[in-house]
Amino acid sequence: MKAASHDLRKLAEKLVQYGRKLGADEMEVTLYDGREFNVDVRLGRIENLVEADSRYCAFRLFKDKKVASASSSDLNLSTLQALVRKALTRASLTHADEFAGLPAPARFKVTEDSLKLYDPEVAALKPQEKIKMALTTERIALEDRRITNSFGASFVSNELRTILVNSSGFSGEYLQTYCSLSLGLQAGHGDHLVEDYWFSSKRHLRDLATPEEVARTAVERTVRQLNPRKIKTQNVPVIFEPTMTSWLLAFLFSCVSGTAVYQQTTFLAGRLGEKIGNDLVTVIDDGLLPGRLGSRPFDSEGVPTQRTVIIENGVLRNYLCNTYAARKLNLPATGNGNGRGVVPNNFYLEPGTTTPDEIIKSTRKGFLLTRVIGHGLNSVTGDISRGASGLWIEDGQAVYPVSEVTIAGNLGKMLQNIELVGNDIRFESPVCGPTIRVGEMTVAGK
Amino acid sequence: MTERRETSQPGDFQLQLADLKRVLSLALARGGDFADIFLEYRTSLSILMEEDIIKESSETVTLGLGLRVIRKDRTGYAYTNDLSEEKLRSVALTASAIASARAGQKFPFPRVRNLRADKDVARAGLVANFRPLKDKIQLVERAYRSALNHDQAIKKVQVAYGESLQHIKILNSEGLLVEDRRPMVKLVVMALAEKNGRRESGFCGGGGRVGLEYFKRELTPETIGQEAAREACLLLEAVDPPAGEMPVVLSPGHSGVLIHEAVGHLLEADFIRKKTSVLWNKLGKKVGSEQLNIYDDPTRPGFRGSYNFDDEGSRPHKTLLVEKGVVRGFLQDLLSARLMKKEPTGHGRREDFSCWPLPRMANTYIDRGEYDPEEIIRSVRKGFYVSRLSGGQVEDSGQFTFSVTLGYLIEDGRLGRPVRQATLIGTNLDILQKVEMVGHDLEFGWQTGTCSKEGQDVPVADGCPTMKISRMTVGGLR
Repeated sequence: MKAASHDLRKLAEKLVQYGRKLGADEMEVTLYDGREFNVDVRLGRIENLVEADSRYCAFRLFKDKKVASASSSDLNLSTLQALVRKALTRASLTHADEFAGLPAPARFKVTEDSLKLYDPEVAALKPQEKIKMALTTERIALEDRRITNSFGASFVSNELRTILVNSSGFSGEYLQTYCSLSLGLQAGHGDHLVEDYWFSSKRHLRDLATPEEVARTAVERTVRQLNPRKIKTQNVPVIFEPTMTSWLLAFLFSCVSGTAVYQQTTFLAGRLGEKIGNDLVTVIDDGLLPGRLGSRPFDSEGVPTQRTVIIENGVLRNYLCNTYAARKLNLPATGNGNGRGVVPNNFYLEPGTTTPDEIIKSTRKGFLLTRVIGHGLNSVTGDISRGASGLWIEDGQAVYPVSEVTIAGNLGKMLQNIELVGNDIRFESPVCGPTIRVGEMTVAGK
Repeated sequence: MTERRETSQPGDFQLQLADLKRVLSLALARGGDFADIFLEYRTSLSILMEEDIIKESSETVTLGLGLRVIRKDRTGYAYTNDLSEEKLRSVALTASAIASARAGQKFPFPRVRNLRADKDVARAGLVANFRPLKDKIQLVERAYRSALNHDQAIKKVQVAYGESLQHIKILNSEGLLVEDRRPMVKLVVMALAEKNGRRESGFCGGGGRVGLEYFKRELTPETIGQEAAREACLLLEAVDPPAGEMPVVLSPGHSGVLIHEAVGHLLEADFIRKKTSVLWNKLGKKVGSEQLNIYDDPTRPGFRGSYNFDDEGSRPHKTLLVEKGVVRGFLQDLLSARLMKKEPTGHGRREDFSCWPLPRMANTYIDRGEYDPEEIIRSVRKGFYVSRLSGGQVEDSGQFTFSVTLGYLIEDGRLGRPVRQATLIGTNLDILQKVEMVGHDLEFGWQTGTCSKEGQDVPVADGCPTMKISRMTVGGLR
């Protein structure tokens, strides 16, 4: 992809020059060049097979502190130049914003190599081998007689080159790979069906879970839900499995994003330095962890990524800011820019020392949360309300599965109420955490 | 990469019919049963206002081609945004890899039939993309001001305007050629209210496959702004939701989300033929109350979920899904219809050229019943009234939820205090039988809905009359 990279960087530079020539004060151009492979197999046969290359271009320009942006999957120079001209006209019709503009030029010190973003093995893997991995995963699972149907197994891999050039003199690029193996299953008969899935996703093929591991976990997670009961409405401790902690952290991220803070759409606005959680809660965002899915040398604006402490032993230390939010809040940019928004890099809850087994064993009565559905998250208030399934815990043991209940609570109160933090963090997604136990939440049922 | 064309043109894509036929023939040279090409050229614009200024605008051009080859139940798919002949040949070869025969089979291309829409479902006199930017900025500013001025408690307002115009061209190996132009607009307002240290947000929006005249005739920016502000202020007075099983009354319009989740998804033909949907064996069987008549109609003029042709070129039909509680039909795309030996219903949709089509909903609704809405509320001594919903989700096994942003307690047959944030949960076979009363006041929700399936987002609408469910689990705090 080397020659292509050279051409694309030239195109980006050309567009920056074009925008400047036409009167833009500042201009930033990003080019993406991606290659995707995806195979879905189901019941032992290929169902879908996708291969594609795609490119697209995105830019922002500033004139008199007014901003306009555009993107295009048509990389024809004349199309892009027309978009630049139209963006300049649009900018002139919007209002000046003193906080708008590119970041001051900064040097990033890491590369795709030191961050281990690229795995040549992923790039070189033959389609036949990818198909085989998906087929093997599903076959192992279907050998278990308790599994009655399959949603299929998938292997996905991609390569993506990101090139960023701006008028402040920034010019950088990096190449990254991604691969994942996943499987969805169904168990049960007649009208009484249960479903679950499992996956592994990594940048490097050697880090990916094996077909056996993915299959066994998917089977175990599915069949443990068979013959669920509905429970009475009550307040009990809730144990979050790592995938559940991940969504809770994704919600926390949306509440510490600098954009939400300046817009005042988060209950954590204006609370830096306050003790918002108990001592067990330490949350980090780190864009520099080698080989992790959320790592990158610089963000979408060319700001170098870094390690940012969000919550330190319960104290709110930092918000995550792109350049705009940083200026609005008079805080440093943290290398979390993404277009006009803010994204997490590797955003995680620092693991503790307790094993997940110990957490369950130490719970006299409680709810082990394994799946949620629905979207009841409100960052303005911190309120959480979602449909849930899981396992009922009595005297330190899972005694029966529970379904068709809801859990409700408030993130602010939950952070104060985290009783135990597990040691089982997996880094299978950019936002992740270990098993945790939250003191008390409302589980609503009968 | 840049020397091929002067500039990209909507509609003709600079590709001749003969080019497309040649590519499809190549794609079938390894023995596939069917192949099609989906060409897309879309321009979109978004405008954002917050903190009293038009903060930014963004334009997007989407150009690309997706090519699919089907062999029995397998799909090979490839896409590109480079429309050079060399690239199209490679796309055809990639997509045909799922067919196993040796290359070189001759495919005699049938006569091409060019279908056109008799009547456009879009109701866009003033197609937004062709109107001056300042008209749209004015709409945004009017909505912004009306929300901000609604009440002193309103502290922040955000207004987002979006428009798109999608040109599509579809050619398949059976000779079907379809071209269409699909306009869409959307104006949404989020208002944030604050009083005594408590903050709440409200939301409202409108749009559809309409032109800018919609904001004059059907829903003004002022109404949208005020509604968002009104909801935020109401929530300042709201109490925490109750928890447990109770009778639930659903408001007309917005509660259509329930039927989208509880019935619509589970009647999508891919889940039926794979037998993962709990409804796969229920055709002709009674699954719910006699009062339930459910349709999906992609032909409703101006609606967000409407289209003249689906994304495989099929003409859509108003599709009966449930009649008097009995399952009568499924939502079909070409592949599922072929495998199930049924007629396509025109519900094959895709997010864009990089996605293959799936059976999807368009505009789903429960038809009107006979009860007076007031009578329905009066029939509940103690229960929960769902006023506004923000969305829902369903599993194939039938368990579903939806998120209520604003509700009311029902006490002695009357609406009581407003209630904030709650989740309702149920399993579809259970809830459908518990539909006790269906009102005569069919309404549709705001034209702002988007449905997500297998990572693909498509615009949808849904609707329903006032309805009573005898018992349902409300997930609250008390």
